Amino acid sequence: MNVIDQLRQTIATTLKVPLERVTPTTRDEDLAAWDSLGQVNLMMALEQTFDVYIEVEDFEKLNSVPAIVGYLGSRDAR
Amino acid sequence: MVNPKADPDALFGVESRAALLAAVAGWRQPLTLPQVRRLTEMATGFGPALQPLRLAIVHTYTSDLLDPWLAMHAALAGFDLQCHHAPHGLALQEAQPGSGLLAHRPDITLLMLRREDLHPDLAAPIVGLDAKQLDALRQACLAQVQAIVGAFRSQAVGQLQLSILPSPAAPALGIYAAHGACSEAAWWAGLQSDIAAWMRSECPSSMLMDMDELARSVGRDAMFDLRFWFSAQFPFTARAASAFARQVATVGVLLKSPRAKVLVLDADNTLWGGVVGEDGIQGIALGQDYPGNAFRAFQRRILDFQQRGLILALCSKNNAADVEQVLREHPHQILREQHFSAQRVNWLDKAENLVSLAEELNVDLDSFVFVDDSDHECAAVRHALPQIEVVQAPRRAVDLPGCLDHVARLEVLALTAEDLAKTEMYAQERRRRDLVADVQRAGGGHGEYLAGLQMCMQVNVGCSAHLARLSQLTRKTNQFNLTTRRYDEQQMRALLADDDTLVLDFSLADRFGDSGIVGLAIWRLNAPASAELDSFMMSCRVIGRQAESAFLEASTRLLGERGVQALVADHFPTAKNALVARFLPEHGFERGADGRYHRSLRSRPPRSPSEFPVEVRVIAADRLDVLTNAAP
Repeated sequence: MNVIDQLRQTIATTLKVPLERVTPTTRDEDLAAWDSLGQVNLMMALEQTFDVYIEVEDFEKLNSVPAIVGYLGSRDAR
Repeated sequence: MVNPKADPDALFGVESRAALLAAVAGWRQPLTLPQVRRLTEMATGFGPALQPLRLAIVHTYTSDLLDPWLAMHAALAGFDLQCHHAPHGLALQEAQPGSGLLAHRPDITLLMLRREDLHPDLAAPIVGLDAKQLDALRQACLAQVQAIVGAFRSQAVGQLQLSILPSPAAPALGIYAAHGACSEAAWWAGLQSDIAAWMRSECPSSMLMDMDELARSVGRDAMFDLRFWFSAQFPFTARAASAFARQVATVGVLLKSPRAKVLVLDADNTLWGGVVGEDGIQGIALGQDYPGNAFRAFQRRILDFQQRGLILALCSKNNAADVEQVLREHPHQILREQHFSAQRVNWLDKAENLVSLAEELNVDLDSFVFVDDSDHECAAVRHALPQIEVVQAPRRAVDLPGCLDHVARLEVLALTAEDLAKTEMYAQERRRRDLVADVQRAGGGHGEYLAGLQMCMQVNVGCSAHLARLSQLTRKTNQFNLTTRRYDEQQMRALLADDDTLVLDFSLADRFGDSGIVGLAIWRLNAPASAELDSFMMSCRVIGRQAESAFLEASTRLLGERGVQALVADHFPTAKNALVARFLPEHGFERGADGRYHRSLRSRPPRSPSEFPVEVRVIAADRLDVLTNAAP
């Protein structure tokens, strides 16, 4: 599974929405479940799914699929 | 300590919910959210179907993020968790009639409070306060807890669990903290002890959860994730969330499962390493060095479970003389003969031995927890007696001392004096059996035996000091119980306070000891000159001594003195109470056309106490109006 699909899957499971509602361009405003609580849940799930440690300062920037993909890519590059 | 090489397949390869529960309990690494979801699905998929468990959470910090862990531990314990989160904050309005919390009809209400919710001064350092100020602060905190807990307890909120979150920060005085004249930790321990004492005496079905102990077992650094704490007011790491959620699920298990009463232990490779029949008393592993010291630590741990009111039994395939020699003579053996209330050391099938142990101890098989190291024995008992909870002792001795710590049914929500004295009571029971044998040898019968016991019964009228025990009797007594009505502590408190209800209990002493509170009768005095027997029950450990008759007649005498002339009673048959099928007819009750049992005290007056081999004393603890009528 590529990173985008794995991420869509993680978002769908964590926020309990159907997978098709999460597209490569989905952002927090598109999903009611992606509220502040959903965001924290998602941060935990991202850490555990992608084996990364996210600094608290980055939490609110990671509010869309493209932003998270970019973040994961930058970490992978490191 | 964590074994970093633990294999995740151990979690996902199992084939039953019980095995999954055991695998998760033994899993020492933090579970990830995706793993938690997968385990929840697995646990839900295994039979039998999940039972609903209704939880309400009142919280002053974020609680929603606990949901995946709560759902997993509930599912592992066999529950489908239905969780209601109150609005964020100290939501006392949730204790008002018509609230969302009360509409949820929770089995458990969990209060998740922070320290500063108890008093605004706790947001600042307390180490600078003098003794008088600290004392005043402690009183104020206690009063606040009483107000919060009292508000919820006065409503039907189920079992109430109070938790107070420890501080994520290190002590104010750093490395000097334990040495200083004012220790925050000591102050908190004192406050918690005050809260617990108040809850024990005033607050039925309520418990203070020890969050400080949770923090010690997880470790403070491993308990708090400050990123989530400061960004979302959620304090816990995955490990802490899991440990906390497991405690909540444990409370559910204790509320909904038959109470564990007997811990049945295998001997070889469970109490000691090796096989005594082959290795001999010198050859078994039990002593100062590994692995013998781990077996000793396990035996020591078992004594802790005895302190929770469990009694111990031994069930071993061995020559009786070999095991007896270890129990008596091995210098490092901790559990001796007197610790076991019953033993089966023979070559019979274990299931057969367990059935006969249940008969000897007069308890149901579903109150047994059976511990054995052998795959074969565990599987055989699970198959033959599925009502028994089986715990397989781990293969490696190092894992043994803690292997029962995760068994939910070995925890307790309340401890009564009877629980603590239970082992001694079973020892008394053995001495009574010896007396029976002596009397028989001398040519005497049952009457001589009962006379020889020199029994003295104390009947207590409306004694609210016995609240916890009385509630426990209604919940635990299955066999000698006419109506099997269960009352939690709150309901029992209401019955004791009700002017139209007469709650009588009795304790029975004889030359061998005191049984504690073993019988309960609840009479409803709703109509003039008549009384209805709501509940009548007796613990099986005093059966066969005519105590039930002496108690019933003493209670009818009390009713007669209050002007009652007609008695009504019911017998509701269950799978377990066949023992009392003839009790009412044998005591002057006649079955009426309405299917209920009736007795007129005019035509069938109370029998005289002198007809029973029991001396009866009546004590009215709280209700002075009864005392004036009830002089023996």
